[in-house]
Amino acid sequence: MKLLRRLIAVVLVASSLLSATTATDSTAKGPTDYDEHLSLKTLPGNAVLASFSFVTNGTFDNHHSVFPRSLAQILEHSHARELHLKFSLGRWDSELWGTPIGKAGGTGVELWAWVEADDDAGADKQWRTLTNALSGLFCASLNFIDGTRTIRPVMSFAPEGHHSEKEMERLHLLHGSLPREPVCTENLTPFLKLLPCKGRAGISSLLDGHKLFDAQWQSMSVVIKPVCDNGRCRLQVEQTVDMVLDIERSLQRRDSPVPKPLPVERLNCDTSKFYGTGDSCFPQTNLGDLPWSLSEIFGRPIKGVCPLARPSREAHVCAIVPAERSIFVSQNSVEIKYPDGTRCFVLPDTADFDVILPQQSPALPLRLELPPLYASRSFTGHGQERGGVQAVLRNPSLTETVDFVYLESLPWFMKPYLHTLRTTLSPASPGFEPIQDLFYRPVLDRARGAHLEAALRIPPNSTLTLSYDFDKSVLRYTEYPPDANRGFDVAAAVITIPKTGFAIRTTSLLLSLPTPDFSMPYNVIILSSTVIALAFGSVFNLLVRRFVGADEVSPRTQRLEEFKERLLAAILRRTRGEKKKME
Amino acid sequence: MALPRPLRSAKILKFLPFLSILCVLVGVTWLLLLPLDEYSRNTYISENALLPGGVHTYFSGSEQNVFRAYRHEVKALQHAPIEQMIETIESIFKGQGLKVGTQKFRYEAGGKIYEGENVYAVLEAPRGDATEAVVLAAPWINGDDQLNQSGVALVMALARYFKRWSLWSKDVIFLITSDARAGPQAWVDAYHDTHTPGVASLPLTSGALQGVVVLDYPTTNPWDRIHVLYDGINGQLPNLDLFNTAVHISGHQMGVRASLQEMFEHNDSYEDRLRTMLRGMVNQGLGHATGPHSVFIPYHIDAVTLQVSGIGHHDEVTMGRILESLFRSLNNLLEHFHQSFFFYLLLAPRKFVSIGTYLPSAMLIAVNFTITAIGLWIKSGKRSSVSSHGEDTPEPSSITEEKKPLIQEASSSAIPSNSSPITVTEHSRSLLLPISFILALHFLSFLPLYIFNTYPSPLLTPLFALLSLLLPPVLSRLLHLFSPTAQDYELIKCFSLLLLGLFLSALATLNFSLSFLVGLFSVPFSFVAPQPSGRRWVALLMGAALQVLAPTTALLGVAVYMREGVERILLEAAFGWRVWGMWTQVVVWCVWWPAWVAAGVGVVSSWCGVAEDKEKSR
Repeated sequence: MKLLRRLIAVVLVASSLLSATTATDSTAKGPTDYDEHLSLKTLPGNAVLASFSFVTNGTFDNHHSVFPRSLAQILEHSHARELHLKFSLGRWDSELWGTPIGKAGGTGVELWAWVEADDDAGADKQWRTLTNALSGLFCASLNFIDGTRTIRPVMSFAPEGHHSEKEMERLHLLHGSLPREPVCTENLTPFLKLLPCKGRAGISSLLDGHKLFDAQWQSMSVVIKPVCDNGRCRLQVEQTVDMVLDIERSLQRRDSPVPKPLPVERLNCDTSKFYGTGDSCFPQTNLGDLPWSLSEIFGRPIKGVCPLARPSREAHVCAIVPAERSIFVSQNSVEIKYPDGTRCFVLPDTADFDVILPQQSPALPLRLELPPLYASRSFTGHGQERGGVQAVLRNPSLTETVDFVYLESLPWFMKPYLHTLRTTLSPASPGFEPIQDLFYRPVLDRARGAHLEAALRIPPNSTLTLSYDFDKSVLRYTEYPPDANRGFDVAAAVITIPKTGFAIRTTSLLLSLPTPDFSMPYNVIILSSTVIALAFGSVFNLLVRRFVGADEVSPRTQRLEEFKERLLAAILRRTRGEKKKME
Repeated sequence: MALPRPLRSAKILKFLPFLSILCVLVGVTWLLLLPLDEYSRNTYISENALLPGGVHTYFSGSEQNVFRAYRHEVKALQHAPIEQMIETIESIFKGQGLKVGTQKFRYEAGGKIYEGENVYAVLEAPRGDATEAVVLAAPWINGDDQLNQSGVALVMALARYFKRWSLWSKDVIFLITSDARAGPQAWVDAYHDTHTPGVASLPLTSGALQGVVVLDYPTTNPWDRIHVLYDGINGQLPNLDLFNTAVHISGHQMGVRASLQEMFEHNDSYEDRLRTMLRGMVNQGLGHATGPHSVFIPYHIDAVTLQVSGIGHHDEVTMGRILESLFRSLNNLLEHFHQSFFFYLLLAPRKFVSIGTYLPSAMLIAVNFTITAIGLWIKSGKRSSVSSHGEDTPEPSSITEEKKPLIQEASSSAIPSNSSPITVTEHSRSLLLPISFILALHFLSFLPLYIFNTYPSPLLTPLFALLSLLLPPVLSRLLHLFSPTAQDYELIKCFSLLLLGLFLSALATLNFSLSFLVGLFSVPFSFVAPQPSGRRWVALLMGAALQVLAPTTALLGVAVYMREGVERILLEAAFGWRVWGMWTQVVVWCVWWPAWVAAGVGVVSSWCGVAEDKEKSR
């Protein structure tokens, strides 16, 4: 087996043998300029959650050491005081994976920022500057966040950074999202460029586009905020990359890019079946936890430690796996065990670092954190005239009532009817009012979309269904995108629990609008233009060309002169002729 | 109606019946010409994104062992209760790491109860955002009441296989319905949250459905060809691109021949093309579900059913690869199916006629009624009731003068002014009686619509046939109480035909086949008329012809065509009305039947209507 060979080849240190002294928390030290951290967590269904976090601190003056200068300039130019930018792909499966991690955004790109301005118009101007600048920096279509996609949330978001009261008065919160933006390597490259080690060393060396974008779920975020302690403030950039990798698929991709059927001998068949395993094979389901290593699922090991990161004697990689599962790591790395079962590793300075988890059978039970809320959202009804939206929100807790804010930002061509907004609780609890507060800003055609924000509450162990109807507008001919028949994406609803700061997103939706048949007008336009062009070309050609015999052609040098003369003569003739006619 | 002067000529009236006949003849001939090479086209893939057959398929080898194991599992459950079936399938899907949902449903139609449970699994596309999905479905029991054992097993084997690919851009839903008729409807209704109270909501949904492929593969023997079912409810059709993709992949990539409309021995001759087309038209005209896929089509979800047929050398691996390739093509779709035709008649797997070519034929038949109706309107205004009292020929008695155009006012209440002898050739029409009669007749038509859809008892048909036989004389008698004139009969026929022409031409754009078939059955309505007492045998013949072409007779005809009992057909119709939302009954009872009764009343009036006329003229 490949894995075994690797185990032997690399001299490994079994984690259980060398359990270093349980380290105390290292937060006592002052802030460093740069800090990076990778946490690996096994999830049910043979998945691994890899969370990369890179924190860079900078000053407010223009002396940048590791703080990315491009970002600082954008912030300065657009007067943005706090900024959250998230790129996500896929959906977090909270049923299977438990509580979503906090940094995730909705599918596509989501951006919100607090910008400093005197009034709304000024804020809009700064916001436009900001989106355009970020668009260029991250190679994303952020410049398409225009007025129709921008909202000003009132309840959902609170600033994470430290802003003084006086500052807050002048800050405007703006939020926009592009659900359709395909996040890919062109966004990852500028993201990595902002890091001091630029993906060459340290944990960021694992970030390879091929693996990152083969994840089951993936999210990148950039959060810039002022952080103050003891009156000393600094500007902090926190960049995170989170992804859930399907181990089975990652390992199989290593063998072959195509999931060809396994040879019969390698199938795991259930021998207890009455039809045996002769020509049939009922696949065994619970095969235990698959073996994996960093270099297998990321395609490469960690290439040493980033020299600019905080003191290299501290752990940069942590694994959150059941305590019974053994972990093997490369030589020269030190393991630190924490009381909560987390195992962290100090990277070797120059050598490659790998983490290997061997096969575990039967699978170890994983402790999952129940999310405070499950949310899903879908369209109801069919047809091209109207429709409905239904959001199902479930509170799994048996004791706690959950208060949360539901934020929906709809495109302008989707016109909700607020009077159809209904909430149903199941099981029904009479006298319980789920809607605590409601903020609604109606649609203005082609100027702004609908903005719905509702403070809701769900009693324990209940499901709240929020639904409303809407009308679909007919767009103008030129307002359809080239792939008009695909439909229009509706951004994810944002659900936040203000008390804990917990936030989740639903999936985005695909809205089909009445779409004209573009093929006919396009064909007619193209065909008639071609015909006209052909006719005009040949007629013009015939009109201006003079046909001469081959023997009449004069030497090259005189040809141009002669042509001029002839042209003049011809024009003269024609004008004279016309004059005569007129007479 | 102020007609242009030339049209007021009586000569044109003589010409109109021939024009009507010409329309019908041209319409029918037009349809018969369609199978010729000159009028039909070869099919082609219009949506370039589909790239059918552009991928190599890998479903084979050990996947077949897995498939066989699943088939054993399915077969062992053949006589098991449905709960156990659901449980087993659920555990298999869960073992594959898919999310599973189940849904109970219960329908009541025509006094019968249809219930069952669906189970489905959602393969969430990696990095997908749950905005789009495609469905691979298999009914547990297929339309012929056979256990769909290879079909269900193959769906599960493909679910396991598809899970390993990371290229899916849309979610793939694997749906096993407990039956082929009610189950898919319950599922698709609940998916769009438009389900009836007896149907449970879905615990788990995905994005907008972009395509559905249903697999009907009950046999364990090697098979020879696939049979593609494509007709939807109410004669709606899936996008031709989906059908073409299925045919292209099976034919070009896998070397499997495709057939359609149960034309298994299709040698591409004129007769075979014509028969294929007519079978397709009958299916579309009946508007029923030809397979589990049909119920998806009203939701604008393109769907086909693939059946296996014959005995040959293809096995489940071939079918698995066809489906693999088909789903890879569907996965390529960037937009909802829209490029190709939604209105077409298929003549052969690779030959079709598009709407622009075939539509005129149904339109011409519908126009024939309108022409006759216009003719009758002119005629009813031409003849004075006084001059016509002697003999009641259908031709206008005086055709000499046309020089005194009078402004005619549709006096709705006036009784024909017979106080003074009028010698003018045009006179006012009394509209009250004909209009109220036609309206009453159309309202009456809701009665059979309700009765047939609610109590589909086998006794109902003979009873109704008898009623149909008796209704025209009874109505005629009833009409007599209002002492109708010949003009009234003409106007009744005129309005009846006008409505029929209107309805049929509108219907032709929605369901060509139904419009054409009803139009064809209704052609005699243009030509039956009250006969003078000397020619009662003609009236008798007309009455017989009407009885032969009655909606009830058509019902018997359908029963014979489908080789089923009338009771079964009625149950099917009631089921279709209640569960599928079929509209065929509305057309039959509210468009065709009133026109038929009106024509019948006209014929019967040969016996009583004329006598009354004479009496009146006295």
